[in-house]
Amino acid sequence: MNSRHAARIRWAVIRYLLLAAGTVIFTLPMIYMISTSLRPNGALYEYPPRFFPRWEALTLENYDYILHQSKFYLNFLNSVTVSVTTIALAALVGSAMAFVLGKFQSKLTRVLFVFIIITMIIPGTTMIVPQFELATRLGMVNRLWGLIPFYVAWVIPFSTFMIKGFMENIPGEIMEAAWIDGADVWTVYRKIAMPLSSPAIASVSIFNFLTAWEEYPWANTVINDNAKRTLPIAIAGFFGQHQFTQWGYVFAMSVLTLIPVVVIFILCQKFFVQGLTAGGVKG
Amino acid sequence: MMIKSRVSRAQIMGLLLPGMIVFGLFTVYPILRLFWMSLCDMSFSSMLTQPFAGLMNYREVFGDATFWTVFVNSIVYTLITVPGQMVLGLFIAILLNGIRRFSVTFRVINYLPVVTSWVIASLVFRYIFNTEGLLNYFLWKILGLTSSNIRWLDTRWSGLAVAMILGIWKGIGWNMVIFLAALQQVPQDLYEAAEIDGCGAWKKFVSVTLPAIRGTILFALIELTIGGFNVFTSIKMITGGRPAHQTDTLLTWMYYKAFSTGKFGYAAALSFVMALSLGLLAIVQFRMMRNRDA
Repeated sequence: MNSRHAARIRWAVIRYLLLAAGTVIFTLPMIYMISTSLRPNGALYEYPPRFFPRWEALTLENYDYILHQSKFYLNFLNSVTVSVTTIALAALVGSAMAFVLGKFQSKLTRVLFVFIIITMIIPGTTMIVPQFELATRLGMVNRLWGLIPFYVAWVIPFSTFMIKGFMENIPGEIMEAAWIDGADVWTVYRKIAMPLSSPAIASVSIFNFLTAWEEYPWANTVINDNAKRTLPIAIAGFFGQHQFTQWGYVFAMSVLTLIPVVVIFILCQKFFVQGLTAGGVKG
Repeated sequence: MMIKSRVSRAQIMGLLLPGMIVFGLFTVYPILRLFWMSLCDMSFSSMLTQPFAGLMNYREVFGDATFWTVFVNSIVYTLITVPGQMVLGLFIAILLNGIRRFSVTFRVINYLPVVTSWVIASLVFRYIFNTEGLLNYFLWKILGLTSSNIRWLDTRWSGLAVAMILGIWKGIGWNMVIFLAALQQVPQDLYEAAEIDGCGAWKKFVSVTLPAIRGTILFALIELTIGGFNVFTSIKMITGGRPAHQTDTLLTWMYYKAFSTGKFGYAAALSFVMALSLGLLAIVQFRMMRNRDA
């Protein structure tokens, strides 16, 4: 009995050691990014490179520079506008579709669901050429709001799929009671289906926020004006602008861009796990 | 059954319509359009005139030496990053499944790379792997493993390796979360039965754990294969396809052809082949896992 107890403790120690080692590897790149953002920008490729800056050389000058550029606030506002509009529209449109697909089975809804699954298999960027042509025809090129319909269309299959799983579990009796009370489809959707599936809508919305917040290929293709850029494009632009990249500025801006994401992630990690596992475990 | 009179078809359609319009116009139409464009002699400058060209674009794609280079690159990227993420993610999930304290802390930290945007993560990796960067300094001056600075980003396989390391680093957290959830649903009595039969840890893993989480493995395999062929931003940021498209992948090469040389028809043909093969691959993966079920 005693040796078994010892073995269990040994295993626990090994587990923690391995996990701690993994954690170091996971965080090293991000720590290095933060530490680079805190050293003078003049030390371009300082040699020898240091993982941590010298204590007396620590500076906030990169942040000072970024935060004194009106462009940064514009880019930030652009990203917020696009992301928030995208998640709001996707939540409305996606939950309405999920409600019908989950609760009113018919030939049409089955065909539609198959279509949705198929488009989830195709990598989004493969459609960039016809989408660019479409955006040009509709006058959506180089317009901030022009990004939104494409983002919404992008996240609808995943959103609908996830919310549908939740809607299906709403007990039939609740809906029948509503029909008997004289409610119509629209009311049942608004008063029953939407509130009851709000956990699914919340977790889907977090993923949609991340998608829109970090989207690069499409925004980079259709947005030209500096003032209409979202944050990822602005950061990438900073990187390519000069012959020598100003890494201090790049990483200060990156840290500022990541702060909202990390805050949302830590506050909502419960929803994250729910959203991720709903698809995976049932398979 | 429900009380039919209240369930108006018009209202049901009203709920479906906005989604169908957005989905139809911005996703389904472009897919169909993609197929048509791939059959036309179409370029950026002549977007409005599109003479039908049959299979010309397809012949051009498959007759192009660079296409085969980037094709191999995408295959290698997927073959390495998909198992890499799954094995490491599952390993960490197993470690986490056996502990109580700090489990949530480890999970949150390990998931952070997933929420870091591709643009930012790619730039950090580019900075670390730069010729005068931290890694070279570490290998040469501290560990003495190399005798000069290695130009990681300037050759085909080392440049791709940096992108692959980034891909694995960024994907482990996602695998960890879904595998952990799957592990927590494996019935505990299966393990007890296996223990009574005298199974060791490895035997238990192979004969109990793996079969029990097969559904999740399939889900991850399909999702990650799509993700592997979808690699774009990291290549663009880390190597930009240099040297001479040697590190381009299918999508970055397609993008270059479309938006730098204006060859929309070529890009459409390449995209269509990709979309079609990935769809077929997903069906095959699905069938393979299902058959083993029976």
